[in-house]
Amino acid sequence: MENPLLIATNIYKKFGDQQVSHNISIQLNKGEIYGLLGPNGAGKTTLIRMLSTITQPDQGEIIFQGKPLQSTDSQFMGYMPEERGLYKKMSVADQLLFFAELRGLSNQEAKAAVKHWLGRLEMLEWSKKKIEEISKGMAQKVQFVSCIMHNPKLLILDEPFSGFDPVNADMIKNLILELKSQGTSILFSTHRMDNVEELCDKIGIIHQGKKVLDGSVSEIRRNAFTGIFEIGFHGVISFEQHPLAAHVVKSTQTNDGRYIYYIQTSESLTMQQLLLQASSLSLPLIHFSEHIPTVHDIFVKTVEVSGDNSQTFSH
Amino acid sequence: MKNLRNIWIVFKREYISRVKNKTFIIMTFLAPVLIVGFYALSIFIATRDEGGSEQKIMMVTDQSKRLSFGNVGNYNLVGTQINTSSEYNQAQERIDTAALNVKLGIVDAWLIIEDHDLNQLDSATLYAKETPSLIEMESINSFIKQQAKNGNMLKMGIRQSAIDSLEAQGSIALKEIGSSGEIETSSSGLKSGIGFMLAFMIYMFIFVYGASVMRGALEEKTNRIVEVIVSSVKPFHLMMGKILGIAAVGLTQFLAWIVLVIVLGTAGGTLLGKSQLKQISGKAQSAISIDSSFAAAQGSGSEAMALKTGTGNPVANMVEAGGLLDAFQSMPIGRILVVFLMFFIGGYLLYASMFAAIGAAVNQETETQQFMMPITLPLVLGFVIAQTVALKAPNGSTAQLFSMIPFTSPIVMVVRAPFGVPTSEILMSFGILTITFIGMVWLTSKIYRIGILSYGKKPSWRDLWRWLRF
Repeated sequence: MENPLLIATNIYKKFGDQQVSHNISIQLNKGEIYGLLGPNGAGKTTLIRMLSTITQPDQGEIIFQGKPLQSTDSQFMGYMPEERGLYKKMSVADQLLFFAELRGLSNQEAKAAVKHWLGRLEMLEWSKKKIEEISKGMAQKVQFVSCIMHNPKLLILDEPFSGFDPVNADMIKNLILELKSQGTSILFSTHRMDNVEELCDKIGIIHQGKKVLDGSVSEIRRNAFTGIFEIGFHGVISFEQHPLAAHVVKSTQTNDGRYIYYIQTSESLTMQQLLLQASSLSLPLIHFSEHIPTVHDIFVKTVEVSGDNSQTFSH
Repeated sequence: MKNLRNIWIVFKREYISRVKNKTFIIMTFLAPVLIVGFYALSIFIATRDEGGSEQKIMMVTDQSKRLSFGNVGNYNLVGTQINTSSEYNQAQERIDTAALNVKLGIVDAWLIIEDHDLNQLDSATLYAKETPSLIEMESINSFIKQQAKNGNMLKMGIRQSAIDSLEAQGSIALKEIGSSGEIETSSSGLKSGIGFMLAFMIYMFIFVYGASVMRGALEEKTNRIVEVIVSSVKPFHLMMGKILGIAAVGLTQFLAWIVLVIVLGTAGGTLLGKSQLKQISGKAQSAISIDSSFAAAQGSGSEAMALKTGTGNPVANMVEAGGLLDAFQSMPIGRILVVFLMFFIGGYLLYASMFAAIGAAVNQETETQQFMMPITLPLVLGFVIAQTVALKAPNGSTAQLFSMIPFTSPIVMVVRAPFGVPTSEILMSFGILTITFIGMVWLTSKIYRIGILSYGKKPSWRDLWRWLRF
């Protein structure tokens, strides 16, 4: 059941002569995680800034909670920019208090929220320390918490996993999932595919200011299914003279010693036929599945197909 | 309401984080000590040399016999001891004797007054090993002048005691007649001093705290905090909160200084004894009524005073002090302070908004230079005008003009304030300043709004112009 929180329709934005957003539409439902994918310079940050009320689109409409987006809606949003920064000379607690108040919490509520979150991060004894006095990892936690203290309905994160150490990245992942379970919608951009599959309900791929693909992760992957199946054995199969030989696309060996063969099915070789033939091979069949491309594969392929200047892509 | 609340939150952060800062606390308490210490040191250095060990010895040979070296002995100039003796006086010393003595270091200088027309001072020659300083030359000059005058008078048959009585010190007591006819003690020196001090405070404040606004904006930009903030606060409100918050920090510092001065002053007064102070002041007042004679004006140079060793007139100094106290009390202190506060805040806001725009436009501190220059120029001009024109002719047309121009008025008007500026003029100037300030904030906030989210290359004036028109 769709329960839209944010609907952006036909968004255009130009900087000088450069069209950085070209007819982009996205929809985000309540309690959903949306991954905005795209190479560096694709226009993700520009779109995110428009959605988080920092800038306005030249054309197009953004509906938030059923009404056109206003600057006052920012109190329902949490936002973490790609380039992180805190006031270095300010204490952890003062900093959090400032951001919480900016997001509309009263002084009392803000103080309670600061205490709660510092407790959860096990940072209570650090609350009086200045940012320049604590470790980078701790500052990262403070940064993340600073944008969720006011229980936003929409959390917008620009490249949330870049710059975080693995432990903190995991913490953020868990917090994101926790917020989702509480009904918060989360939109994050990334140019890295790790985490996307396990976190996102929906993804949209942006390339050169245009949205080139979007939908639910499972749907997109299913659509990307090209009829290739995987069959696996404990050992190498000799396909000599075997009718399957002509259909093998590639083969890989897994760490635990299994051999996986990728077989292209078609009208001449249906799935049923493949299964029958595979079970008649010299070794017993231990693995049989559809080969569904990863989001990573889809992303790389989409960007390569839709854009000629693939050098903007960096990993 | 929400806008005001946001300005307030930013204001609070700026204020608290700065006031809590150790540097601020230290400077608040240290600055008055430093300033007092600075003055104490300069007074110490200035007075130390008088009669000190580095005194130079100068011989005077008076071939003209017209000088009034009636009383043979030592005269103290600033850093120079003048030895005259009848021996040298009478002797027709030759130039080479003088030169030899100077060369051998027996004396530092030798002055020979030739037997020409004594009204011409260039008929005297000074032989010296080292070039005397300007002040030394000046004091020797005026010493000889004085002695020549005395000598002439003696020759005319005027008695020494009569000449001495001519030297009695006095000073002009200034009484101002108000529009309703009341007569009040006044002092040009005091008014200039107060006006200049207040103007200097504004000048310093705009520079120090304006730069602080600029660095604050730049810090938020380079730390990328600004992106988070502008997602909940409009750039204009962020800028206003910042400017006002820093202004409050400055006002707090001033307030702390005033309290410190009052506390220290009271403490000092208690130590000295109140009755004693009153006594001094009282004596001075009576002295002024008795001492109605007036001879050498103060303006004839402190060198002349210094020449008469030990004859410095302590009564005159006290008169001065007592007069100042009176003059201070009769000044419209409240009015001056109101003018000061009005132009202090107005001037700061005008300049701080420009500083904020610069901070937001650039990417790092080194890039601020090219933009700082044209902005601080009018401020410096105002200060120069204050130092020269406004102090010489506080109600002259130049001073009037520059106290209307909003970029210089915060300084020039405050210098003029103690001399009495018509209320209509003050209000008009303040009105112009306010309108300019509002217009400037409107303009600079446009630059600020775009600048804070523009990273990359150093902006040019053309970029700023472009941002203005967005």
